[in-house]
Amino acid sequence: MKLSGAEIVVEELKTEGVEVAFGIPGGVLLDLYDVLYKEEAIRHILMRHEQCAAHAADGYARVSGKAGVCIATSGPGATNLVTGLTNANMDSSAVVALTGQVPTSVIGTNAFQEASTFTITMPITKHNFLVKRTEDLPKVIHNAFYIANTGRKGVVLVDLPKDILAGVADVDLHPKETFAGYKPNIKPNQVQIKRVVEILARAERPLILAGGGVISADATTELQRLAEFLAAPVVTTLMGKGAIPENHPFCLGMAGMHGQVYANRAINECDALLALGTRFSDRTTGWQLDQFAPDATLIHVDIDTAEINKNMPVDIPIVGDVKLALLEILKLLAKKSAKKSGSEWEKRIKKMHEACDSCVEEIPREGASVSDILIKELSKILDDDAIVTTEVGQCQMFAAHYYMTRKPRTFISSGGLGTMGFGFPAAIGAKVAAPDKKVVDIAGDGSFLMTCQDLATCVENDIQVVVCIFDNRYLGMVRQWQELFYEKKYAQTGLGITPDFVKLAEAFGCYAERVEKPEELKDALNSAFESGKPAVLDMIVGKEDKVLPMIPPGGGIIGMIGTERCKHI
Amino acid sequence: MQTHIISLLVEDHPGVLTRMSGMFTQRGINITSLTVSPCEKEGLSRMTVAIKGSESELEKVRKQISNLIEVVKVVDLSEREAIVRDLCLMKVHVKDSEARSEVMQLAESYGAKIVDAVLDAVTLELTEEPERIDRFVDLMRHFGVKQLFRTGVTAIGIGGGLER
Ligand SMILES: Cc1ncc(C[n+]2csc(CCOP(=O)(O)OP(=O)(O)O)c2C)c(N)n1
Ligand SMILES: [Mg+2]
Repeated sequence: MKLSGAEIVVEELKTEGVEVAFGIPGGVLLDLYDVLYKEEAIRHILMRHEQCAAHAADGYARVSGKAGVCIATSGPGATNLVTGLTNANMDSSAVVALTGQVPTSVIGTNAFQEASTFTITMPITKHNFLVKRTEDLPKVIHNAFYIANTGRKGVVLVDLPKDILAGVADVDLHPKETFAGYKPNIKPNQVQIKRVVEILARAERPLILAGGGVISADATTELQRLAEFLAAPVVTTLMGKGAIPENHPFCLGMAGMHGQVYANRAINECDALLALGTRFSDRTTGWQLDQFAPDATLIHVDIDTAEINKNMPVDIPIVGDVKLALLEILKLLAKKSAKKSGSEWEKRIKKMHEACDSCVEEIPREGASVSDILIKELSKILDDDAIVTTEVGQCQMFAAHYYMTRKPRTFISSGGLGTMGFGFPAAIGAKVAAPDKKVVDIAGDGSFLMTCQDLATCVENDIQVVVCIFDNRYLGMVRQWQELFYEKKYAQTGLGITPDFVKLAEAFGCYAERVEKPEELKDALNSAFESGKPAVLDMIVGKEDKVLPMIPPGGGIIGMIGTERCKHI
Repeated sequence: MQTHIISLLVEDHPGVLTRMSGMFTQRGINITSLTVSPCEKEGLSRMTVAIKGSESELEKVRKQISNLIEVVKVVDLSEREAIVRDLCLMKVHVKDSEARSEVMQLAESYGAKIVDAVLDAVTLELTEEPERIDRFVDLMRHFGVKQLFRTGVTAIGIGGGLER
């Protein structure tokens, strides 16, 4: 079939099931946008910054389980994508980025708006392509999606020179051909599975650590079945929030640096730790690895071979898809009898769980310290299906610690990169992926200012997300570290008094309201949803609130500070 | 720190070398030698990379390199199970006929060939294990090495071959 490069790209996108793309056009992309203009099957959402296009595609992917697509022009468009792509790749989120490039005849000459996108994005993507011939496009686009979506998911970028998009070629669409060296390892080893089953069946104090891989592999039902069969408590990483309902009696919540004290205790006390789809980041393990499951047989299931023994030496590695591994484990376990309830470990867990719930109620607070209350209010007001995204900082860690996530793919946060400005555009992507769900960005004032221009995108495209700003007028998390570890010298962390977030939001045509007290949140949120518009709630919080407890730098998981209220144990 | 030799079978695409070396760069590992050449399969190239590093460090990069989409195969050739060769070209100063005959004698005992000669210098070629080349070069330094070129190691597993 004779088609232009741009037509081939769009045809292949449709074959891959792409329904929406987030992007900004430019000179070298005119041919592509000319085809998109006529194309009804693909909705293009015009963003106001390419970083937001990448974050939106990332948020879309995390909520929908399908690859998100973002588009940017050559040079500045592509370099603006970089933060968003790095973020998505660090969190193993399937994103396909299409970038325009100067014509092949002038590549390497510092042509107008030329940047070497191919080399710039090499270390921040799972794979990338610089297309040199129009006839290569079918294979390249197909493989971009195949690679992004399989194995450990990630970002694939396709750099498209202008003449390649404009050129015409006689091609066969939808090739199946892939790379000889790319074999996303998905089948777990049976021998290892058997060993794991024996260990889990024998363990007296089993514990499951669920990472983002459980959600990305859609293995949450299997996880819950296993936990119930073994009467094993579950702790999660930040990325794993939602892998099991956090109000499940066996869920001890998030572990790690700002996790629940009890979740960390459980890691310290268990005798078998089944780690699923996690890379043992230092935010989860702390820095004193001798406190991390010292008495346990460590089992690590991950789809990425390179994660095995990278950050944490383990006893039994299983390389493969978490869902397949769990199904195999469950199958073999079914031949054994389920763990009877009433074990010492279960009692201990129950006690820890209750303590965890009650201590939250008893936070000593001074004056306006309401950050945690606001998150708990949000937990109560929002239904189980509502999606929460977060910015980065205290707001994020308050959300991670106190927000009760009840379903997978409803807690979306920047884990690996910790990117301020992620939450709001990710919320845009989330809302586009799930238009019937409520979407709320738990934002910091500093973070929101990094990407707030995309309020225009929300208003123009009728994307109703609600941004709840934790207005502390500080780069709060950095300020907290200055308070705790740098003698309260608040170097460059004060944000002054501008802007007035209510006026800012109104200028964009959003609904906006100031929330001075937690009691006002419910009404404000309801009004925001009822307004039918994108909305911003400016929530005034204690300027010097600290998010505690925390593992101090260099500390271990049982060396948390700020645990005064966790004495029930 | 031990020298490790890794043999990679990669797709012959632009950028593969950058991807591969980027993995070492990110981990701060220095590549001591690197050769790239076509191989028995069309569309694929073979890279031989020599690095100095600990066993565990090497294991981590090896896995990350295997993850690269265009890397078809990674084989870790410990020097014992492999035939390892380096090619050296060197111009040695010979100040008089006595020096010339000494150089020629030593070259012969090492199996080096004389590939060019002028009045005050000879050019030698030696294909050997890298350690033997090191020793030969050291010897030649007594006469004066004007220029030295080495290709870096290439290596092949003994017996039936790499593609088990
Ligand atoms: C893009 C980016 N720049 C800088 C940082 C470093 N940093 C981490 S948290 C933080 C403060 C965030 O402030 P804010 O969004 O107001 O949230 P708060 O901590 O006050 O809740 C900063 C500057 C970062 N994570 N990301
Ligand atoms: Mg702030």
